[in-house]
Amino acid sequence: MATILSVDDSPSIRQMIKVVLEPAGHNVIEAGDGAEGLAKAQATKLDLVITDLNMPVMNGLELIRALRKLPAAVGMPIVFLTTESNDAVKQEAKSAGATGWITKPFKPEQLLAVVSKLVRS
Amino acid sequence: MTAMDPTEVFRQEASELFEVLEGALLDLGQCPDDRELVDSAFRALHTIKGSGAMFGFDKVASFTHEFETAFDRVRRGEIKPTQELISVALAAKDYIRALIEDPQSTDDIIGEAILDDLKRFVSSDQPSAPVAEIAEARPLAPGESRQAGWHLYLDFESHILRNGSNPLDLLEDLCKLGPCFVVPVTDGVPFLDEMDPEDCYLKWDVKLHATCDKDAIDDVFMFVQDEMKLTLSPLEQVEARAPAPLFQLLDEEPAPPVETVAQMMAPAAAVAPPLAAKPERKAEVASEPKSDIKSETAPARREEAKQERGIATVRVQAERLDELMARVGELVIAQARLTQLASAGSDLSIKMIAEEIERLASSLRDTTMGARMVPIGSLFGRFRRLVHDLSRDLSKPVEFVTSGEDTELDKTMIECLADPLVHLIRNAIDHGIEDTATRAAHGKTEQGRIELAAVHSGAQVLVTVKDNGGGLNTARIRAKAEEQGLIATGAALSDHEVHQFLFHPGFSTAQTISALSGRGVGMDVVKRTIENMRGSIDLSTKPTQGTTVTLRLPLTLAIIEGLLIRVGEGRYIIPLSAVEECIELTAEDERSCGRNFLNVRGNLVPFLRLREIMSASGTPDRHQKTIIISTGETHVGLVADQIIGSHQTVIKSLSKLHSDVTMFSGATILGDGTAALILDVAQLVALAQAQTEKQISEAA
Repeated sequence: MATILSVDDSPSIRQMIKVVLEPAGHNVIEAGDGAEGLAKAQATKLDLVITDLNMPVMNGLELIRALRKLPAAVGMPIVFLTTESNDAVKQEAKSAGATGWITKPFKPEQLLAVVSKLVRS
Repeated sequence: MTAMDPTEVFRQEASELFEVLEGALLDLGQCPDDRELVDSAFRALHTIKGSGAMFGFDKVASFTHEFETAFDRVRRGEIKPTQELISVALAAKDYIRALIEDPQSTDDIIGEAILDDLKRFVSSDQPSAPVAEIAEARPLAPGESRQAGWHLYLDFESHILRNGSNPLDLLEDLCKLGPCFVVPVTDGVPFLDEMDPEDCYLKWDVKLHATCDKDAIDDVFMFVQDEMKLTLSPLEQVEARAPAPLFQLLDEEPAPPVETVAQMMAPAAAVAPPLAAKPERKAEVASEPKSDIKSETAPARREEAKQERGIATVRVQAERLDELMARVGELVIAQARLTQLASAGSDLSIKMIAEEIERLASSLRDTTMGARMVPIGSLFGRFRRLVHDLSRDLSKPVEFVTSGEDTELDKTMIECLADPLVHLIRNAIDHGIEDTATRAAHGKTEQGRIELAAVHSGAQVLVTVKDNGGGLNTARIRAKAEEQGLIATGAALSDHEVHQFLFHPGFSTAQTISALSGRGVGMDVVKRTIENMRGSIDLSTKPTQGTTVTLRLPLTLAIIEGLLIRVGEGRYIIPLSAVEECIELTAEDERSCGRNFLNVRGNLVPFLRLREIMSASGTPDRHQKTIIISTGETHVGLVADQIIGSHQTVIKSLSKLHSDVTMFSGATILGDGTAALILDVAQLVALAQAQTEKQISEAA
């Protein structure tokens, strides 16, 4: 049972993440943009953050960089969602501090595989 | 000693059996025709199998059974043990050992592979050509080898942990693919002060025993592939040797591994079962110089095992123990100085260290003293013959009884005690025990009885020689003392005081000088010897009932507990074992200046003013303290200015120049580096008694 923050401006993606992860026993917190996500990350002890990259107010890269500065987020895995198979984007996100990625579109089992890879009970 | 866990005993037993098995197998490589070697290998195997089943090592039992069955043709002499076969047998042995010592880290597939090999070898009637056999049995495509897994080398970039990746998770994922032998490589771990706790310094060497494809492995490392160097190569042989459970260590922290990868792989390579179907490889294994392994590894290991087993006692030269005791003594002195310095200062951490060292020094002292302790029984045994001979020579039947043989005393004291005890036992039989006619007249048993006993009493050991003879003839001793001019005729002396003359040099009441005693050199020598050991001697006797001589001895000669006192400017040590109590000298006692007697709960105790004896200058402290000391029956008070406290006293002998100083038995060095003299209690008691006698005779 892990607490997972899902940050995406698209409610349908957030819902998809929620319906996949909650039955697997995880507690899913949602945020609509990077700033909201950062505020929730500061307020809650998280086990994993799943974030989109293209978002209003504060984009995913900015969120990842901000999260990595939080003492509470040391060693916390951060996964980003990307539609691109472009390595340059992955590289940028990884150098910002991301742990892994999920390529959109993804199947529920792919999401679960990544989460179980990064979240240990 | 507590009873050992039977399983643990089995492990030890098995470990010895493995030495036997390995030795036999290696020797077999040299002389394949030696039936005795084959039999000894089988015996070892059989015992491992039987005991293994007893203690719940079912895997061990079943595998060993398979091993035994497969190897049976060798025993029946149907096939000869070749080098290849011995290599497999050694691998099997290593596997059984791993099963016993660390069952978690072993895997069945290894055991199965070893057994397959073994069966393949022994099923062939021509063991010299097993290659063809395998090739026939399992045809392989050219260039293909049976792949047993993957060999991975994981080299992560140091910042890997900062991005939320955890190598431990990755290793766990790897383990899900199949059994893994993971060895951390710690070469890159820096010193603690150079270490960034958020960096990853470890690298891993992993042997994955699974026939998964490369994609499955890539999948494990999918997020970190560009942040690590992954070296991947197919594993061609089954590793014969199961490694230590290093993976568990990873859970805690980057602990240093027990073995480096190279060390781990070396023995495995030497005994690698030739699974790969390459003839060259076989040839390599076969031409392995087995004699090297035999001559170096095996005897060395056996030697180690032997040493481990023979640890029960160590014989040490007595001088070394003395030297050790001297060093510990010096340590205790240095520690006392440290404690004094620390207590004077205000540094709390220094104080804590000083306390710790004090505790350690004191336990070190006890341990070292314990090492010098010898049971007195060895000494008692010597007297049995003496009593027997004397009893025969004097025609006095004597029963000799000893008790407390296991009482321990410093070994130098045991040696010093031999002569005095010979004197005392001789005296007891010669003078003490009456002849049979006299005994009968007193209604006693014909057979006399001598008891030699040792018993602990606080910090002292009491050794008693007790006879049930006629007792001391007080009147005769008195007459003799008067005759020799030791006392005035008719002087008022207690019986106890009269008996003390026995210890005077040249004093003997024996009517005739026998070969055994009566020369008058016995008792004074006994007394001097005992007093040199800081002991005391005491006599008690009852007419017709017998005499008891009691020797009071300190436990050790080297270090004593002392009471540190101050007299004027000087500081002195009184052996704590002689101290009965400390009281304040009351004004009333003070006024009784001429008489020098204290009233201690109704008993009159003579006292000595140490200030007078030491000729101390300056004014005495207002409240004078009295320390009551005793030697056996006699109590004497010593008046001092101040009682400082107890003190661990390391005794230093006085030099030869001071050998005629009677008041002191030695010296010690105090915490501040100054010296303090150790008061000779026996001498002070004698002095007090002499003073009392003088006062009595003056009064009379």
